[in-house]
Amino acid sequence: MSAGAAVWLVLGATLLGWGIFSGLRRDLPGPLAPIRWFAQSWLGRALALCAWGGAGWHLFCQRP
Amino acid sequence: MSRALPVGVVAIGATVSWWAGGLHRDQTAAHLSVLVAIALAVAAAVGFGIGRQAVTARAWVKGPFDLSRHLDEDPAQSLAAAIWAVLLMSVIAWDLNSFVHQSHDLPTLSSIFGHLTSTHAGRSVVFAAWLVLGATLALGWRRR
Repeated sequence: MSAGAAVWLVLGATLLGWGIFSGLRRDLPGPLAPIRWFAQSWLGRALALCAWGGAGWHLFCQRP
Repeated sequence: MSRALPVGVVAIGATVSWWAGGLHRDQTAAHLSVLVAIALAVAAAVGFGIGRQAVTARAWVKGPFDLSRHLDEDPAQSLAAAIWAVLLMSVIAWDLNSFVHQSHDLPTLSSIFGHLTSTHAGRSVVFAAWLVLGATLALGWRRR
């Protein structure tokens, strides 16, 4: 496994672990909290939708 | 009637995702499916969101910087929010680092997702997840 892949593995596992932990605790912001934060205002929603649209275009129309 | 609408939307979304999962990046239909989804999301966000945003853009920008108030009000929530921010920024920073170096030893998020979208089923699942995320961003958490 390459060094870069190992870093992704650690990041993914940390995100998964933290997502499960915070999702189970009612007093903590869970995995939906980052999305909810962006969807609070027009500016956040617009920025998130731009990133979402760009990611979709890249993944489904550009990626080899 | 009230249950038929969400069931119908899910059925249409699943069908479209399966169809889009069978397309190739160079096909016009693949481009149109993404562009139509983006147009629908923007139209829904504007059409259903006017006057229904939870906070103003100014308050949203200033919100995270009021650290002392957040820490006073709820230290545990503030710490948890900070952990989310650090984790997500780490993902973005590592992806940028991998992209800049363009090395086989440093895969980007794009290349990782590329493995997932290399099959019909994988591409369909990722497309469906992308649609759900877009609908959530366009319509979620508005004031009633």
